[in-house]
Amino acid sequence: MRTHDFCDQLTALLPRLRRFARGLTQNPADADDLCQSTVERALVARGQWQEGTRLDAWVYRIMRNQWIDETRSRSRRARTFVHEDEGMNVGIAGDRDAENRVELGNVDRALARLPADQREAVVLVLVEGFAYKEAAEIIGIPQGTLTSRLGRGREALLKELGETA
Amino acid sequence: MSVTPEELMALADGELSGEEAARVEAAIAADPVLARRLEAERGLRAALRGRLDPVAQEPVPLALTDLIARTAAADAGQGMTGKAAPAPAAAPSPAEVVDLAAARTRRKEAEKARDRAARRPNVPIFADRRMAFAIAASLVLGLMLGSQLHREGPVTQTRAGLAASGSLARTLDRQLASAGDVDGLRMLASFRRQGGDYCRVFAGTATSGIACRREDTWLLERTMAGGGGPSSNYRQAGSVQGDMLAAAQDMMRGDPLDAAQERAVIEKGWR
Repeated sequence: MRTHDFCDQLTALLPRLRRFARGLTQNPADADDLCQSTVERALVARGQWQEGTRLDAWVYRIMRNQWIDETRSRSRRARTFVHEDEGMNVGIAGDRDAENRVELGNVDRALARLPADQREAVVLVLVEGFAYKEAAEIIGIPQGTLTSRLGRGREALLKELGETA
Repeated sequence: MSVTPEELMALADGELSGEEAARVEAAIAADPVLARRLEAERGLRAALRGRLDPVAQEPVPLALTDLIARTAAADAGQGMTGKAAPAPAAAPSPAEVVDLAAARTRRKEAEKARDRAARRPNVPIFADRRMAFAIAASLVLGLMLGSQLHREGPVTQTRAGLAASGSLARTLDRQLASAGDVDGLRMLASFRRQGGDYCRVFAGTATSGIACRREDTWLLERTMAGGGGPSSNYRQAGSVQGDMLAAAQDMMRGDPLDAAQERAVIEKGWR
């Protein structure tokens, strides 16, 4: 593989990666950090990308996995410090931060309230425009699981935003 | 003929084709409830895109493009020195990994320093930094441009420090970043630094640097040998430009100017 091509393609993907990061994290600072760590990871692992396969799906997968790791370690940290009966509600620290900020628009708030697995399905298909098959591969789940998450996520968003969103 | 919610969703997502799509479309056309539902699905997509698409229109932070450019430059360098290097990309060198981590740490440190400075506006940490840059600039330029430090050269000594003059000053005044290489000089980025001055990152055949606008002059905050032009090889050019952009990133307030902002501020004479 020619590194130059890989780097050119990766650079061209950056605007979309930033959009996906914002969709996943709901927060500009977290999104910037996620982009940074994803690009670092992709550069280190560039030898593992198979030429002829879609680079975008490969990098999206890295980003999605990085974010899962990050949210897991955050909820572990959060659980350590949060009172027990409050701890039941702790999902992602970022979600609570997001809900607390008043300037958030309806769409942000509705997205932030979705469970993470539904949110990534919704963002990959509705915003990033991946086909069901591709989105399922990025997340690493069967297509049927993807469509059921997508359906539930959509239902919740439509309810929250009103049918005429 | 009934349509399941899954089928309706699949139609909205463009997952159906041919007969299947035609069947679902026909059912929707015959049923106002389904039609409203499809409308809502499409509205949801538009609302999400309306919220997130603008992020993809924002200028990409230099730190990201720079990270990639450095890797490309480093690999290009390897390719040139090693004869038939076997798949240079397969295993990144440990040094490079450390380097990326270090770059990240530096970025965090710079952010912290900025936060501290923002909380205590009276502490003149930028004064020190400016002085350090000026000293570095004098040393580098003194060595490189010694013979050019006359009245019509690209650099003159002023009371405020080294300033751009002649063609360099004119290019800094007028040339858009999108113009690319004009007479051996390219503008890589324009931005506002802390305090509000406009600054530009430039790359020339012999010298690259960062110049910031102070009253009517471009003071050279930072300079480096090489960086652009046809005579320098890719690796040198890439790493010098990368260093300049990284330095600019540390100085920058907000995002770099986009093409329209740059054009507007050129028209206003950088005020």
